[in-house]
Amino acid sequence: MDNFKVMVVDDEQDFLETIIKRLKARKIEVAGAESGQRALDLLASQDFDVMILDVKMPGMDGIETLREVKKRKPLTEVIMLTGHASVESGIQGMQLGAFDYVMKPVALDELLEKMRQAYERKLIQEGKG
Amino acid sequence: MTLRPSFSAHRVYPYIPALLILAAAVPLGLKCGALWALGALALAGISVLTLCGLLRRQEPGPGQDWLLDEGLLQAQKVAAIGQLSAGVAHEINNPLAIIRQEAQWMQTLLQTDHFHGLEEVKELQDSLREIIQQVDRTKEITHNLLDFARKRQPVLQTVAINKLIEDMARLVENEARRKQIRIIRQFAPELPPIFSDAPQLRQVLLNILNNAVYAVRKDGAVTITTRPAGQEAVEILVHDTGPGIAPEDLPRIFDPFFTTKPPGQGTGLGLSICHGIVEKLGGRITAASQAGQGATFTIRLPLKAGQKTPGK
Repeated sequence: MDNFKVMVVDDEQDFLETIIKRLKARKIEVAGAESGQRALDLLASQDFDVMILDVKMPGMDGIETLREVKKRKPLTEVIMLTGHASVESGIQGMQLGAFDYVMKPVALDELLEKMRQAYERKLIQEGKG
Repeated sequence: MTLRPSFSAHRVYPYIPALLILAAAVPLGLKCGALWALGALALAGISVLTLCGLLRRQEPGPGQDWLLDEGLLQAQKVAAIGQLSAGVAHEINNPLAIIRQEAQWMQTLLQTDHFHGLEEVKELQDSLREIIQQVDRTKEITHNLLDFARKRQPVLQTVAINKLIEDMARLVENEARRKQIRIIRQFAPELPPIFSDAPQLRQVLLNILNNAVYAVRKDGAVTITTRPAGQEAVEILVHDTGPGIAPEDLPRIFDPFFTTKPPGQGTGLGLSICHGIVEKLGGRITAASQAGQGATFTIRLPLKAGQKTPGK
């Protein structure tokens, strides 16, 4: 049973709707945001355990959003999703404290496994703090 | 253990950022005016003062012998420079924000009717755009420095090391393929899972693999090998077919700010960060290279991180 709370951030509506539907089918509590700014607004009002964050978005991009998320809610674990593998932004993302940097398309099972590990990491850190 | 009666060379490295800012004052003065040059001079001054204070605190007492482990020395150097650069970066960020804001305000003013039809306006707009662009570039550097200085405590989880490396290899492979560089995997099939920090290891692997591809440039191969090392550790080897590392550079490649890349292409922090992470996880990262035979980076990780804590 996965009892963690997830936010998916992606400017592609189709992708966002589908992944939310599929995660809900797996009984995971999930919310969506279609921009970095919207994600931060959502994060201000409630806590999330794991964030799936698209790298390439108009306006505030994934890296910028990650930087803000880590400033405001450092315990939120962020998995970066990218359409075009850019090693440079991958390094930047990991350096900014992302949990993982994953290329699209990714199998849902694999993403779920990464989310579980990210959540485990969050639990460990909360136990410490 | 090595006996190091003096390490004067290491006293010079920390001053490099200050020297760079100092050097930047001249072109700044010529291109952007005396005010900029003065600003740069002031920054260099602040940087040196902070550094002097920092280094004085670390000065050994008279007659005290310095018996230092190489790893410990490296860790201290990184920590000192990290503190300094974070301080400087923080100080620079505020004036940068003001410069940017003023430039934007000038852009707004230039759009008013008052300036309409004046032929210099276009040139002024270009200059302002350039100023803003350069401020953003500087901001990127200061952000990098702040990221570098931030210390992150490792969080230990079970890590399937082959899978983790495969993920990172795939990321790098896209870029490598375009340059006709093959990524060859030689993974030990039955590698035991290790207890370590996965995201930080990803950061290390991504850096090392990226460097390897960069070193090859075009047409070549990067070989990743994993293997058990005794009962207590695993080893990851990344070998590239690039030109190799010059013998005089080899001892310095893990130093902060050391880079062989052309200016503007690397901050020289990547390998230094990797070194810091691996040491903190109780492992060791080393580099070997022979002329014309490429370079090999070896990362040795304990099955359980935190068994030894070097550079504490």
